Amino acid sequence: MDIKTRYKIETMDLEPDRFEIFAPSAHQFEWTRRELLALLGAGVLYVVSAQDADAQQPERIGLRLHVAPTGVVTVLTGKVDIGQGLRTLLTQAAAEELRLTPEKVRVQTCDTAVTPDDGGTWASLTTPQTVPAVRMAAAALREAGFHAESMQRTVAASVTLTAPKDWKVLGTSLPPVSGRDIVTGRQKYGADVRVEGMLHGKVLRAPSHHAALVKADGSAAEKVTGVRVVRNGTLAGVVAGDDRTASEALRLLKAEWKETPLPAQAEVFAHLRKTAEAPVFVRGSRYPAVLEQGSVVEAMKGAVRRHEATYTAEYIAHVALDCRSAIAEWDGDKLTVHCGTQAPQVVRRELAEAFRIPVNNVRLIVSNIGAGFGSRHRGECELEAAALARAVGKPVRLAWSREDEFLAGYFRPAAVVDVKTALDASQRVVGWDFHNYNSGASGLAVPYAIANSYCGFHKSDSPLRQGSYRSLAAVANTFARESHMDEVAHLTGSDPVEYRLRHIEDTRLRHVVEAGARRFGWEKGRRGMGVACTIEKDARLALFAEVEEPIRVRRLLLLFDCGAVLNPDNLRNQLTGALIQGMGGALFESVRHDRRQVLSLRLSRYRLPRMADLPEIEVQLVDRREVAPTGAGEAGITLVAPALANAWFSFKGERRRGLPLFTAGEPKR
Amino acid sequence: MNNPVSVVVNGAKRSIVVGQGITLLDVLRDQLDLTGAKYGCGEGQCGACTVLVEGKAVRSCLAAAESVAGKKVETVEGLEREGRLHPLQAAFLEKSAFQCGYCTPGFLMAAEALLRRVPKPAEAEIRRELNGNICRCGTYPRIVEAVRMAAGVGKR
Ligand code: FES
Ligand code: FES
Repeated sequence: MDIKTRYKIETMDLEPDRFEIFAPSAHQFEWTRRELLALLGAGVLYVVSAQDADAQQPERIGLRLHVAPTGVVTVLTGKVDIGQGLRTLLTQAAAEELRLTPEKVRVQTCDTAVTPDDGGTWASLTTPQTVPAVRMAAAALREAGFHAESMQRTVAASVTLTAPKDWKVLGTSLPPVSGRDIVTGRQKYGADVRVEGMLHGKVLRAPSHHAALVKADGSAAEKVTGVRVVRNGTLAGVVAGDDRTASEALRLLKAEWKETPLPAQAEVFAHLRKTAEAPVFVRGSRYPAVLEQGSVVEAMKGAVRRHEATYTAEYIAHVALDCRSAIAEWDGDKLTVHCGTQAPQVVRRELAEAFRIPVNNVRLIVSNIGAGFGSRHRGECELEAAALARAVGKPVRLAWSREDEFLAGYFRPAAVVDVKTALDASQRVVGWDFHNYNSGASGLAVPYAIANSYCGFHKSDSPLRQGSYRSLAAVANTFARESHMDEVAHLTGSDPVEYRLRHIEDTRLRHVVEAGARRFGWEKGRRGMGVACTIEKDARLALFAEVEEPIRVRRLLLLFDCGAVLNPDNLRNQLTGALIQGMGGALFESVRHDRRQVLSLRLSRYRLPRMADLPEIEVQLVDRREVAPTGAGEAGITLVAPALANAWFSFKGERRRGLPLFTAGEPKR
Repeated sequence: MNNPVSVVVNGAKRSIVVGQGITLLDVLRDQLDLTGAKYGCGEGQCGACTVLVEGKAVRSCLAAAESVAGKKVETVEGLEREGRLHPLQAAFLEKSAFQCGYCTPGFLMAAEALLRRVPKPAEAEIRRELNGNICRCGTYPRIVEAVRMAAGVGKR
């Protein structure tokens, strides 16, 4: 495939001894040369930027590739490896287009001093955005001819990407490139990083969820040898020479707080409804808050039959196993933070704003993260560490405890979803009225051919601090939609698979539903089986579930079509993991709180899926080489709750419309 | 009081500082720079900190440092011998039994304790033994497969 784009390739020589001779050649290179050399060693750095040939478009972010004298090529990316296989996928992408074996390719993840800003590691964008960008840059470099000594500037007028049918590295199950480091314990995560001369900090947590610090009394804490008490705006904390002393001092730090009560847990859904705003359509947003087609009002009026129901989802926690940590170090007005975040540029801006310094003064060196799931989009821990470090004038490490995670992180939003449907004389759904309160607009779209529909997302006042989560609102929205379709199917005496198929026009979606039903051994009227399907971030998927007494999931079968499969084994691993994670939120996860504070502060108070919960799991991939791949790290989680709720209904004749489906008192497995 | 005592870590005699509130996990990570064992919960719930003490799986976040005085401690860093992976490590690698890998050291050590006690465990036994370890990325099925492979009990 030929891309009508001009590629400008600039080079920067990284010979250590020729420092002075080659002044930085472009603004991107300012203050990065030393860091680049330290990280990558000698060689040539190629910056490949794309410019649309026709339009006056500004240059797109320059992709950076480093070629060492050994011929090893390093791809520099501002993304982060959170266990989704980023390093492996980008290795494949570069190796494919450079015609190199994967061993000759390295991936340098985010260090804002040297890597470009190619967006946050979120929304399953690595596959649809980063992989193509790396492929094009690598292909441009291949066509320009690259070597470790090259110094001339080259422009490749167009590049040819390797056709999917000719892939040698992409499309294969290249094992995780960090595998050996992981099994030997050598892989470093945020909490494993140490910096010379660093001190250890702790931050005082408020006794209630919405509390403002009024006064802090550090006199007792300061008596502990080597302890400094830090007070800055809303933050009170301590810094000491070691972690244990810091903990000891923290216990002596007294504070007064102004508290604002929370609604009781039982009142949360009513609160979300009460405080809801009307949906606002914003043009060009990735997840529009209003989707409208035909006239749902007319459809309701003319309906032969109507059905309505409300679905809810509680707040749940990400519980990435790795707790947040950060080491902040100031050098005058320049700040360096070692941390684990999915959104380096967001956190960088937050830090710059908080300390009123230019964004370029903030360097984030991002480590591997013991998984993200959307929990690391904001810089809570980084801000705290930077405030502590600024006060004491030394590097400070702040490592959050599990309790800090529950107290100072954020949760997946709670949701209330109202669904109303209108059926015509042929029992077909002709009107679809869908309202999500509080949790978000992702997954609002209906994958069925329904003539009249309105889907809206209402912002509400969330009692608990909330934020991103794997696929965010798509879990609640898909749960509501797929439960509701199931209800209507049963109401009309139809088989849930057949009934869905009657409403599906998308051939790829039809395929996963039909093929899945066959493979699963779906039988009309058979007890204990449930189905759900969706189009999520352009992937087509269908999940089949079977449950048995006492509340045990017996098996799950997922059919998944996200276009071309770049790494089948990695994709299977991601999808299986998403299913297992989805089981937690579907069956038992829920953040408990009272009128003051979150009560789920420990893993012993917050149940997660374990080995004993495992059903038989099968994942079937539909590999469509001709279709550009979409991301897949999230989609798999969206169908678990509805498939299980539907299977439960088929098993017990009882409809459960709230997540988690079961409460702690019910039999656990 | 902070008293130095000696322990044998991965075959080498080491001197460590023990004292009130210092756990074995603190010792490994902060004093010996062995960061393979991880913190995940600090209350024995997740198993990320699992190491072997006298060959038995121990949650190092709960073990007081002084409790290992004079004992043999093994961590994930000690599994590899002269660049050769331990069979469990090789099996985890072969099956890609991880995503982020944060839980891996804990699972490896818990599985090692099991295989020393029961060289050919039944699948149910593997699941029971490893039920105390959390993999939030959800790689459990692969972990079971990897342990079976390392134990030479093959595929189902
Ligand atoms: S950190 Fe020790 S069991 Fe979780
Ligand atoms: S691989 Fe991420 S927690 Fe297990």
